[in-house]
Amino acid sequence: MYGYQIIKELEARSEGYFKFKEGTLYPALHRLEKSGLLYGKWQKLPNGRQRRYYHITARGLARLAEDRTQWQDYLNAVKLILQPGQSHL
Amino acid sequence: MTPELTDYIENIRYTSKLGGSDDTGIIGELETHIEDKLRDLTDAGLSEEEAIRACLGEMGSPSLVARQIYEAYSQGSWKQVMMASLPHLLFGGIFTLNWWHHIGWLTVLLILICGITIYGWCHGKPNWVFSWLSYSLLPVLIAGLLLLYLPKGWSLIVIPIYIPLAAWWLIHILNQIVKKDWLFSSVMLLPIPIIIGWFLTISPDGKLTEASLQQATLLAPWIGLSFVVLALTIAAFIRIRQRWLRISLLALSGIITLTLVANYTQGHLSTAMFVGLMLVMWGIFLVPPLLERRLRRRAELILDKKRTATTKID
Repeated sequence: MYGYQIIKELEARSEGYFKFKEGTLYPALHRLEKSGLLYGKWQKLPNGRQRRYYHITARGLARLAEDRTQWQDYLNAVKLILQPGQSHL
Repeated sequence: MTPELTDYIENIRYTSKLGGSDDTGIIGELETHIEDKLRDLTDAGLSEEEAIRACLGEMGSPSLVARQIYEAYSQGSWKQVMMASLPHLLFGGIFTLNWWHHIGWLTVLLILICGITIYGWCHGKPNWVFSWLSYSLLPVLIAGLLLLYLPKGWSLIVIPIYIPLAAWWLIHILNQIVKKDWLFSSVMLLPIPIIIGWFLTISPDGKLTEASLQQATLLAPWIGLSFVVLALTIAAFIRIRQRWLRISLLALSGIITLTLVANYTQGHLSTAMFVGLMLVMWGIFLVPPLLERRLRRRAELILDKKRTATTKID
């Protein structure tokens, strides 16, 4: 995926909830690339322009699995708190 | 690209202080992103002007984007930390071990420093080169001091020629560094007030006598310590990502080290000299950003002239 595609995907999947300053995506992608979680590759388009496509590395996948579990646990905890009528207080 | 978009991109390029391939890479990505977004917005029915306004609003302010780019790239590796702090440690070591009075050691050290500085300067000016550059100014300073020992008539002829030449060379070097980032000029100049402070303590009249050599022997451990403080400052500077923290670190370290110099000299450094050195220290943090602003204004004027010429041709 390339930067603009990531922004659009994020916006579509969150149904417009997540909208952030788009220029700040690239420093974040470059930080992840420097940490070895992503790697970027320039590709030439038919119109002569170049685009940088980002791919996740094996290390990135491992980190993603870890973070996903953490977020899932957090989400479950929030759901439990918000569920009505479950309080024993 | 329209002038608004070019200004936006140029602002980010200038403020993020990137250089070389990093600059071309991330700026290229931002340009492509803007082009894609503009196309989508105009396809959705917005006029060109509206699309540009919406696009710039959604991209984020240039200073925010540039700051994040700077922080993504500013942290140096441990290898850079070692290289940047090495010249300070070498000078610290030579004083702590009291080897400073062996002319042979000093000469070898200065040749080594000049050699490594030239190598770094000719190979893309990596961030570590600027602390080496500080000590490469020493031979120029020493040559100037040696001129004082010339027969009186000769000193009067040579010194007025030497000082403007040395000043011109220093300004030329500063201009080159400021084009990369003014902060590195401050890194380069940081040891200068400290070296001058020690020198004035040892030899207030500028001439090396037997008494001043004895004084240097007594103060050698403290001189060594001040260089070690500089080495630690530069090591932290290379690892820190945030620009404001880097500036604060350099300013604080410079002022504290200079205060330590005044403290250890036990009255040999007069109040006037101390105040003078403090002013020089503040100059280190004021002159390079002013120089940078001047260079930027000149670059903007050239860009404006080019735009006007292109509009006239169209």
